[in-house]
Order: sequence, then C-alpha cells, then structure tokens
Amino acid sequence: MQILTQLVFSGIALGMIYAVIAFGYQLTFATSDTLNFGQGDALMLGALVGLTLVEKLGLNYWLMIPLVCVFGVLQGALVERIGVRPALKIKSEFGWIMSTIALGIIFKNVAENVWGRDDLKFPSPLPESPLHFLGANILPMEILVVVGAVGMMLAVEVFNRRSIYGRAVVATFNDRDAAKLMGINTGLVITFSYALSSLSAAFAGVLIAPLTLTGATMGAVLGLKAFAVAIIGGLTSGMGIILGGVILGIAETTTGFYISTGYKDVPGLVLLLIVLAVKPAGLFGKTAIKKV
Amino acid sequence: MTRRSLVLAVVGLVFVGGLPLAVHNPYYIHLVETIMIYAIVLFGLDIVVGYTGQVSLGHAGLFGIGAYAAGVLVMKLAAPLWLTLPAAIAVTAGFGALLALPALRVTGPYLAMVTLAFGTIIQILINEMTFLTEGPLGIKIAKPSLFGVKLGEQEFYWVVLLMMVLSLVFVHRVLRSQLGRAFEALRGSPVASDCMGVSVYRYKVYAFVISAGLAGLAGALYGYSEQYISPNTYNFELTVLFLLAIIMGGRKTRTGALLGATIIVLLPKLLDDVELFRYVAVTIAVVVTAGAVVWVQRGKTTWRAAAIPVAGSIALAGVSFVLETMTDWRLSIFGLITLFVVYYLQDGIVGFVRGVLDLRPRAEAFDEARVAPVIGDAIANAARDMPDELLSARKVLMQFGGLKALNDVDLVVRRGAIHGLIGPNGSGKSTMMNVLTGIYVPTAGQIEFAGHSVVGRSSADIALSGIARTFQNVQLFGEMTALQNVMVGLHHSFASNLAEVALHLPRYRREDAQATARALALLQFVGLADLSHEEARNLPYGKQRLLEIARALALDPQLLLLDEPAAGLTAPDIKVLLAIIAKIRDHGITVILIEHHMDVVMAICDTVSVLDFGQKIAEGQPAAVQADAKVIEAYLGGQAVSGQAA
Repeated sequence: MQILTQLVFSGIALGMIYAVIAFGYQLTFATSDTLNFGQGDALMLGALVGLTLVEKLGLNYWLMIPLVCVFGVLQGALVERIGVRPALKIKSEFGWIMSTIALGIIFKNVAENVWGRDDLKFPSPLPESPLHFLGANILPMEILVVVGAVGMMLAVEVFNRRSIYGRAVVATFNDRDAAKLMGINTGLVITFSYALSSLSAAFAGVLIAPLTLTGATMGAVLGLKAFAVAIIGGLTSGMGIILGGVILGIAETTTGFYISTGYKDVPGLVLLLIVLAVKPAGLFGKTAIKKV
Repeated sequence: MTRRSLVLAVVGLVFVGGLPLAVHNPYYIHLVETIMIYAIVLFGLDIVVGYTGQVSLGHAGLFGIGAYAAGVLVMKLAAPLWLTLPAAIAVTAGFGALLALPALRVTGPYLAMVTLAFGTIIQILINEMTFLTEGPLGIKIAKPSLFGVKLGEQEFYWVVLLMMVLSLVFVHRVLRSQLGRAFEALRGSPVASDCMGVSVYRYKVYAFVISAGLAGLAGALYGYSEQYISPNTYNFELTVLFLLAIIMGGRKTRTGALLGATIIVLLPKLLDDVELFRYVAVTIAVVVTAGAVVWVQRGKTTWRAAAIPVAGSIALAGVSFVLETMTDWRLSIFGLITLFVVYYLQDGIVGFVRGVLDLRPRAEAFDEARVAPVIGDAIANAARDMPDELLSARKVLMQFGGLKALNDVDLVVRRGAIHGLIGPNGSGKSTMMNVLTGIYVPTAGQIEFAGHSVVGRSSADIALSGIARTFQNVQLFGEMTALQNVMVGLHHSFASNLAEVALHLPRYRREDAQATARALALLQFVGLADLSHEEARNLPYGKQRLLEIARALALDPQLLLLDEPAAGLTAPDIKVLLAIIAKIRDHGITVILIEHHMDVVMAICDTVSVLDFGQKIAEGQPAAVQADAKVIEAYLGGQAVSGQAA
C-alpha cells in the first residue's frame, strides 16, 4: 500500500508535466488546427538551456526560469515562422507535419552536437531529502512540479479569458476567417500561440529536469506521450488534460514498478491507440459534425 | 507499356543485374542492394502516402517487424528462405491491419501521431521481448541457402533484384487496377468514395496491409543483407527518412521511389566524405542560384520567394567548409533537406522534372481494340421488379444538438418518377440526401429503400444496393482523370481479386476492358468524351457537375439523387442537363432532384416536396405546389400572406 501511494504521488508529478506539454498542443491546435511535432524537442531545449544557465553562468534556478521562458517564446516563434506559416499559406497539412518534424530533428541534432550525447544531471534547487506524507516519500521537487504546472496553465487561462489579447486568441480559435475580418491579425495570434506553446514546454523542461536526467533524446517520447494525454483529454478540454496526464502518469509509474521499466512507455501509447480507435474526439472532447 | 519504356526497362535491368559481374567490390554491391531493399519499402509506403494521402510514421516499425520475423525464424527454427520471406510478409501484413484500425477513425496529424506511437511501441517490444528477439543484443543472420546452395553476396544480390522487380510489377499493376483507383479516391474525397460503393474503411485497411506486406518483405531481405539486426535500426529517423525519400523522389511514381531510395542511401555516405560533400554543396549552390535567376527572369517567381533557397544553399556550402566532419550533423542536414523539399519541391524530383520539361504523366494507355464496344448509351436499365414505392421515409428526425435539421419528415418516392425536393437554404434538403445515403444516421424514423431498411447501414453498402448521388459541393477525385473518376463508380463491376490483378489473369483483363468501355460510353453520354484524360480538377465547373452525374450512373443505380445539378450552369448547359435527366428517367431510373432553378423543377418533375425549417410544408404536382400559400410564404417571407411570420 505504501508503495502504491508512493507510485501514485510520483505518477501525479509526472502526469502534470505531460499535462503542461499537452496544454502546449492545445494552444496551437486552438488557433491554427496545427500541432508542433517537435514539442518534445522544445522541452528538451528548454531544459538544456536552463542547465547551461545554471551550471556555466552560475545563475540561480529561480532567476533562470524567466530566461528559459523567453528562450521558449523565441524558439516557438521560430518554429511557427519557418515550419507552420508557409504550410498554412499553401494549405498543406502534410507540409506542417513534415516541417515541424524536420525542425524537431534539427533541434535534437544541434543539441547533440552542443551538449553531447550523454545524459546530464540537473542540480535540484530544492533539498533532495524526501518529505513523508501518508507513509510515502515525496520529493519537494515533485510538489514544485505540480504547483508550477497548475500555476502555469491557470496563468494562461486567465490571460485568455480576461485580457483583450486573450480574447483575440479565443476569437481566432472560434473562427479564423471571421476573426481576420474583424481586424485581428490572426497570423500574429498563431505565432503567439506557438510562442506560448514552446514557453510552456520549456518551462516543463526545467521543472522535470531535476527529477530525471537531461539530454538531447529526452524530448521525443515525452512529446509523444503528452500527445497521448492531449488526445485522451480531448484537444479542446482544459480539465481533460490534467486528468489525462494524471491517469497516464500513474499508469506509467505502476507499470514501471510492477512489470518492467522497459515497458513504462507502453501503456500511454496503447491508450492513445485505443482512444483514437474508439473515440477520436477524446474522453472529454466534443465530436465535430462533418459537413458534406 | 510502350516500346520505348520497355527498352529502357530492359537496359536498366541488364545494367543493374550485371553490376556484380563488372564490379567486384562487395561494398558497392551491398550499397546497391540496400537501395533496392529501400525501394521495396518505398513502393509500399507510396501506396499509403501518395495514393491514399495518409501520413505514416510507422513504416520503420513495419520494416523492423519484417526483419525480426525472418530473423527469429532463422534463429529459432533455422527456416529456409522460401519460408522466411512469405512469413515475414504475412506477419507484417497482419501488423499493418492492426495499424489500420485506428487509421479508420482518424486522419492527418492524428494518424501521424498514431503511426508514430505504433512505431515506438514496436521498438520497445523488440527491445524488451528478449525471449524472442534477444533484445538489444540483436540477432545474427547468415546469408540464406536456396535449393541447397549457399548464397554468396553476389547471388543474394540477384535475389534482392528479383524481389525488387517483382514488387515493382506488383505495385504498378495493383495501382493501375480498380484497387489503385479506390486508394486514390479515398484521398480525393472519402465521402464520395463511400457513396460510390468504395468502402473507405475496407480500402484503407487494404492499403495498409499491402503496404505493410512490402515493408515486411524488404525488412526480411534487409536482415539477410546486413547479416545482423538490432532494435535501434528501426527508429524514428529511419521512418522520417522513408517519408523524405517518397516526397523527394516524387509521389505516385515508381521512378520517384527508386530515386528517393538512391538518395537516402547515398546521402549518408556522401556526408561521411567531407571533401566530396564540399564539391556537391558548391554544385548545389550554383545550380540553385542559376535556377533562381532563370526562374525570376521567366517571371515564374519573385526575388523575395527565391531568396530563401538561394541563401540556404549558399549557407550550406559555406558551412561545409567550416566543419571538419559532417557525420555528426547528418540529421540536421536531413532536416534541412526535408524543409526544402516540403516547400520548394512538393511534387518531388520526378514531378519537378516533368514540370520543367512540360511532360504530363502519360495518360493510362489503353488499346482501342481491346475496349469492347458498348451497345446503346451505357446506362443500365433499372430493375422492373422493384416495389412501386421505391423509397419511403417515415417520421425522419435528424437532430444536431438542439437543432432539428429534419423534423418528422415523411417522403415517398414512386418508382420511375422524378421527384423534386425544394425549399429555401437551410431547410434540410441536403441533410435529407445525407440521411438517405447513410452519411448521417437519423436520430429517429424509418427509411425503406426497395423494401429494405437503410437506417444504420454504411454509405458504401447503401450505394451498392442502388442509391447513387451527386453532391452540392462537387466531390470529384481531383487528381484523377475524368475516365478514372467514372471507373471508380464502376468499381462494383470488378470481381477479380488481388492475385488476378497482380498476374493480369483473363478475368481481370476482361473486367478492365469492359469497365473502360462503359466509362468511355458514360462520358460520351454526358458529353465529356473528348475530356476523358483530363484531370477532374482542371475541368470547368459545369463539366465537373456533369462528370459527377456520369460517375453516379456508373453505379447502375435504381435511385439517383441529384443535389443542385444546375447550380453554376449556363443556360445552354441547363438544356443539356434537362435532356440528360430525361434520358435517365427513360431508363426507368428514379430521380430525386434538389434544385433552386424553378424552371428546371417545374419542367421535369412529376412530384415536388417542399421543405422549410426541417419540415415538409407541401407536396404534390409542380403547378399545385407553386401556387401553395405556405410555399410562397417560405420563399418570399410571410407578411404578405399570413400577417405574422414566425
């Protein structure tokens, strides 16, 4: 029982990371019906840039976070400009899928050449001695992950709901053409959504880095599993991804413990296949009516 | 096949086949062997990507399954080659069917992610199922024996060549047949495919299964060729590489697949040799710059648009002189090439060359003599033994959320009649069509066609039972020719299976000849005979509508639903259309006609039903309906007639 509680707590922390990355998918999907297939690599870059800032420049972890966020914004805007905008202009779905994949591969390869191929240890900003709660050990860092993830998503939600810029985002989501006719620069809104999306990924990167190892290959599977979360939760449901993330996180830690760590990525991916085969709109999403 | 291409094929075959006799360096033989193996994967991948238009990121996984199926059989059972190759094909095809299951529900980015997840799972399973696969250690496979003779590097090369040529012929024949047309139709318009009796579900599965089988064959050959297989080969990069090869070579051409395979095999070798790469990079920069200059002068592009590829290629050349070794940057260069291809070379190298030389893909060659003459005007007479009430819909309710698009509508259509369905925009006419053809399942109510219920059956099934339709927003298969479009409608007339298609057995040849003749005759009937080899998307709008009618007639329908056939037609075209509809009726085919042109409706309809806000408000003879107060109110607004409009 104690072990199970332990697994549940680690699962929740992990799940919140997935939720944040999935949130990034939702942001870009909302404005442009596109996804960044290199989302995992955005996370990886955020973590590695954060590591350099902390280790090489001796920056404090907390001061590093805003800088990494700025980096994420720039990286996301770059992806949108190079990979997505030209494809949207020629209305090519294949185009943006391939170009965001290509950019992801480039980012990963650059990271391999800059930071090396080995996984690196990210120093923890909080004490690494666990707290005891309900008989389980919880790392302070895990609590920070949960708080940070929820805070991040709340901040963006409040921005979208309260500010005039956020309303532009929502309007673009509802009807891109109508928003354009109302004088909203939808191109800019899409760039902005990519910037926000990569920001959340980079932020998730520095949150999770102290708990795992950091390296060029850390992003790929994370990005894929976060997509599973986005699908399970539904690409339009905010609560859905948090729940989906937690479900997946716990499924993964328990699989890793009870079966084998080698198989820990399997439940998420299988869940993705099943949900898409049975209810493609996700457990919490709305089914779109096809028009003929 | 024309004489010229036959000669070319023979020369190419002799050249590639004779290579091991001329070149004794095993390195080069192995290189060409790898190209041929990749080409087999790409032939298969092209079916999914090029023809059905789905993005598959799972083909490296399928390739791996093929390799491991052969590897495990060799390791555990010491199975011979004639057993391992079919087994690898069968096992991988099975996994392809599995992969197709989610693909039935989703498309585009979702499908890309699903296939990516599939590939990742396969890699994990290969890694973890050590009892079967030896996990990360990998499996050693010796070169196989055939008829008791151990194959050497040279002999195995010929085995691979034979398999490649067989795959090429197989894929080519399948894609030219009714199966290939079905695959391509899925891409053009899934809805229209279903309504032509070509089940999108079934043919997506077929496409994935055939594609996977080829990947499996290639995987098995790859295992023998490398003599060692390990899980890390079949990773994400390989899958992206396959996709890159397809789009770079050129979709929907076998030449493109061969070219793509050559490029992705040779490029890494090129990057290993930085000296050589510098020469190539400079050449590319010069060619791109020169090309851009010519292009701009011809007015085909602007300086702004040309600036990016020019700057990119020059930068690449510059970088190649800065870096000491390119090997580490291999993936970045692949990434850059992918970006370049996606934006500047969408039709691939083959498509680009065709564009520059102004070559159009050869029209499907058919022998005029082979095409059997069609007696009469190609339209099949409707069956006489149908009930008098051919179609009867009772209390049909179609609800979208709170909106009742159809509210308890009754509709009875008599056999042999032309039944008009009119009403203001948004009154539910097209919804009715979609309900009748199974695109929507009604929330409540019964629909009977020829004595059988339609509710809950799939569109393809309904279409095959005798309801054909056209669409308000034209739904043609754009990249296919007019002839091919009609031949998709004739899909039901083919009974030949995959083997008959691949071997061109008599039944397939007969069916193909008959279908071609019927299709040409149908095109002639709607007056498009001289446009039969034009791509549907290039036809003028009015002709596209006529083509839709020809395609629908190919289904040999009992009931034909025409959704605004006169929309966008000029006055003379409408006359032609009226004549066509009259002739269709003369064959005993019942017609439901949605139309806004009242003169058309009044001229040819026997009965007219009027819908408004999802309810039937009037029905009867055209003249009576035209004079009905409620109908006038619905069209012109209510004040004049009833005082207060709702």
